[in-house]
Amino acid sequence: MTEGYTNGRFAIETRTLHLYYGDFLAIRNVNMRFERNQITALIGPSGCGKSTLLRSLNRMNELVPGTRIDGEVLFHGQNLYDPAVDPVEVRRRIGMVFQRPNPFPKSIFDNVAYGPRILGQRNKAVLEEIVERSLRQAALWDEVKDDLKKSGLALSGGQQQRLCIARALAVEPEIILMDEPCSALDPIATLRIEDLMRELKSDYTIVIVTHNMQQAARVSDFTAFMLLDEHRAGELIEYDRTEKIFNRPQDQRTEDYITGRFG
Amino acid sequence: MEMPDQPIKARSVLDRELTVLRDNTLRASHMVEAAIERAVAALKNQDVGLAQQVITDDQAINALRFEIEGHCYRLLALQQPTARDLRAIVTAIHIVVELERIGDHAAGIAKLTIELAKEPLLKPLIDIPRMAVVGREMMRDSLSAYLNWDAEQARRTVARDAEIDQLNDQVYRELLTYMLQDPRTINRATYLLWVAHNLERIGDRITNICERVIFMVTGEIGEIE
Amino acid sequence: MDRIVFVAVLTLGLLASLNGGLSMTQTAARKGHNPKLGALLGAVTGLVFTLLAALAVITLLPGQAILSVIGGFAAGMGALALLRRALPDRVTEQEALPSGAALQRNIAARRLQGTVLRALFFLSIALAIVMLAILMWTIVTKTIGLTAVQYTVQPEDLVVNGEPVNRPLDELSEAELQAVLADNARVARLRVFVLQNVIEAPEADWPTLSGQPVSRVLKNNEYPAELADAAFNTLDEAQTAGLLALNLDRDSLQELVFDEIIQPQVVDSWPLWTSLTQRDEINAVVAEEYPEAEIVWRSWVSWDFLSSPLDPRKADDTGLRPALIGTLLVIAITIAFAFPVGVGAAIYLEEYAGKNRLNQIIQTNISNLAGVPSIIYGILGLAIFVRSLETFTSGQAFGASTANGRTVLSAGFTLALLILPLIIINAQEAIRAVPNSLRQASYGLGATQWQTIWHHVLPYAMPGILTGTILAISRAIGETAPLILVGGATYLTQDPKGPFSIFTALPLIIYRWTTLPQDEFRNAAAAAIVVLLALLLTLNSIAIILRNRFSRRLS
Repeated sequence: MTEGYTNGRFAIETRTLHLYYGDFLAIRNVNMRFERNQITALIGPSGCGKSTLLRSLNRMNELVPGTRIDGEVLFHGQNLYDPAVDPVEVRRRIGMVFQRPNPFPKSIFDNVAYGPRILGQRNKAVLEEIVERSLRQAALWDEVKDDLKKSGLALSGGQQQRLCIARALAVEPEIILMDEPCSALDPIATLRIEDLMRELKSDYTIVIVTHNMQQAARVSDFTAFMLLDEHRAGELIEYDRTEKIFNRPQDQRTEDYITGRFG
Repeated sequence: MEMPDQPIKARSVLDRELTVLRDNTLRASHMVEAAIERAVAALKNQDVGLAQQVITDDQAINALRFEIEGHCYRLLALQQPTARDLRAIVTAIHIVVELERIGDHAAGIAKLTIELAKEPLLKPLIDIPRMAVVGREMMRDSLSAYLNWDAEQARRTVARDAEIDQLNDQVYRELLTYMLQDPRTINRATYLLWVAHNLERIGDRITNICERVIFMVTGEIGEIE
Repeated sequence: MDRIVFVAVLTLGLLASLNGGLSMTQTAARKGHNPKLGALLGAVTGLVFTLLAALAVITLLPGQAILSVIGGFAAGMGALALLRRALPDRVTEQEALPSGAALQRNIAARRLQGTVLRALFFLSIALAIVMLAILMWTIVTKTIGLTAVQYTVQPEDLVVNGEPVNRPLDELSEAELQAVLADNARVARLRVFVLQNVIEAPEADWPTLSGQPVSRVLKNNEYPAELADAAFNTLDEAQTAGLLALNLDRDSLQELVFDEIIQPQVVDSWPLWTSLTQRDEINAVVAEEYPEAEIVWRSWVSWDFLSSPLDPRKADDTGLRPALIGTLLVIAITIAFAFPVGVGAAIYLEEYAGKNRLNQIIQTNISNLAGVPSIIYGILGLAIFVRSLETFTSGQAFGASTANGRTVLSAGFTLALLILPLIIINAQEAIRAVPNSLRQASYGLGATQWQTIWHHVLPYAMPGILTGTILAISRAIGETAPLILVGGATYLTQDPKGPFSIFTALPLIIYRWTTLPQDEFRNAAAAAIVVLLALLLTLNSIAIILRNRFSRRLS
């Protein structure tokens, strides 16, 4: 496993990753390599640390005071937690979509243009092109192209979430992290976003946390199963191709969880 | 209102249904086993009445197959089974289909028995009943492997198919000898050949059942040789 | 029983009655009786027992007022407790939860409690509205009313060329008006009229202008050619009056005659209600005491009132322009200083500062400062802005010429300090109310902390911040004590011109006018209060409009 590996097949990698909230160990010793242009799902019971792990990939955990990291997260060969690395740059290249759609209380155009604008892009024509491209990629363009000045909050839940995806795409990240993106949406909207994920796969690497096992089975290429150990620290139990995990998992705990006989 | 006394277990409905499925499958296998035994007994004793019974009872086996198969489809649609549950249900479907066909083979032996009963026995039957005994043992073993998730037992059962094939060869050579010596025996010999053929097919079908059981246990699908 | 004690006992009796009504309704329902009857019984018991017990105590132990009040209340509450226990229980089976008729009683009891409390809350707001209405009425009733106006010189007695005019002012020609001025005013006064109304020169220039030739003085106006080279202060009455007639139109001339020669004066005034209902009595009083006076409707709030300078002696002539300008200037400085500093402090405390001990202490202290009496801020302002920072606040550091630090600037800063804690606390609340998901979305896109605050947190919090600012400014406008201490004058001849001027303010002159002997100054004070309220409403409306515009953008 050499440094240059993460430039090729693997988009991002964690090595002996531990995460502490103050003195409390929340994630123990996670070693994972996420394949480029594939969808990886993190599954596990509530509170097992999947969201925490996801958020440590783009340093969003730091927004909570008192978090501390042991180990490394390697991106293009560089440890993201190195003091010389600026989290602002990390978050631009590794984007995030949240559980509840959270568009800004601004127009659709301003929502998507916000990212490019704070990076300094002022040219109106360029911004319009970026907005259109992002909205097309998020499969929202046809529905909103007639009125980009409408408030982002006036859209339906599924549309808002696609708007948030478009917003994340506008800054051209390499990796998109999704924290239970469909849990607040109805089934039809959920399926549309799953279709969207499959389309986005060709250009981006996607990591998704989900409670919905059928969704993980439908949409992901790789699945990672996490559990809390006896000290309430989350650890990685099994990580393999999705068809393996859902047909014949190696670990009995994984099978118990997947068949619903957990607990 | 009384206090509830036990915590509710996850997927208790599915577990209950799977138990019902297993019991039904076992029952079907017993019915088929009985059919084989009685068909061959009818043949030995030239008992037309018993043979008739076997043919009639085959309808019950068919009905049970459809009942079990329907049950499995319901479980697939409503319970979203995954992993081992999914494999167990799919295997059950395959097993009952094979059992039903084995039942058809037994009925076929019974029909041949009725024809053969019109004339006295060609010779005392030794190998054919032996084939039936092996077949029934294999069936019991394969169902046991299915119920106990025992891939090893399934593999051993597959190996026993060689015995039936060997006995089949013996029967074939012996009957051939009879037919060459005396053309008047060709009719009865031919029927007896068909009986042996049915029993040999029963062995093959039990092998299929064992392959399915191995898939169920290991998750690997393929031929066993 | 003494009246005060009676009122106290009555109040406590009503309280006991309320408690009884509310608690008995539940008890009655539980024990199988009609809840409404139970409430009535409880209310009556509470009140009656309180009154009776208090009466008993004061009869047996005369002079023990406090004891009787307390004893009465205790007796009332005790009687209620006994009543609750003594009420017969008509319910036969005891189920754990009521059903059927018992359930209906229970629901009726709970509804009754709700209705009673709702009526009480309504009474509270009705009381508040009534008191506000009374307050507004007492103010407004003094700003409009009948006045008895007396003239120094009656219009009919005006003398022109030795003969009385005998005609109303409106019918006089321009030439006649000019003659009136020439005959009835002293020349010095006429010269002042020219300088003031024709040339509109500042008072400081008058001495120099007076000595100059007419052609110079009136270089932008009209004058007879023959007077061109004469020095201005050598012209006599007729000539000066002629200058006035040449340059002012007829209406202005008439006004001049009216204001300066006839000189109306308000000798008495009546409030609005009296003016409307007791006209005859007023007529009688005026006929007796001021036979020559005219009775005229007057609104004390008028454009003249707003635009004229202060007059220390005559209430009917006084305006409040300097105070109005002073208040506006001071408030402008207050807002300009307090708003950015307050909001900035709130942003720092909420977004940047850590949650450690030191910041906790700072937080507590800011909350405490919000409750400090405003006069303390006045003392603070006096010590710091007026004295220590005198070179800065008096403008000497910038070359202006005020003698001391008692300037608009000091007042503005003092009031800004006063409302700063309010703005900080309120802005903190508004910022805290911004949902965290908004910040997360912004950070997730790679925004820095400042970008997140400026683009998302502040706009979202702005309606709340503006609401709080409105309240703080409303408080600052009416503050009197700090302004007194910082050196606000109660009388000024000139308008405050800028931050380094000495100043007066609306609250200060209201205070002054209510202490002057002449009754008419009370009317002027009422009018000034109305102006202050109007100013307050205007400022509030601006802030509300701004807040609504921000709110609309959010939704």
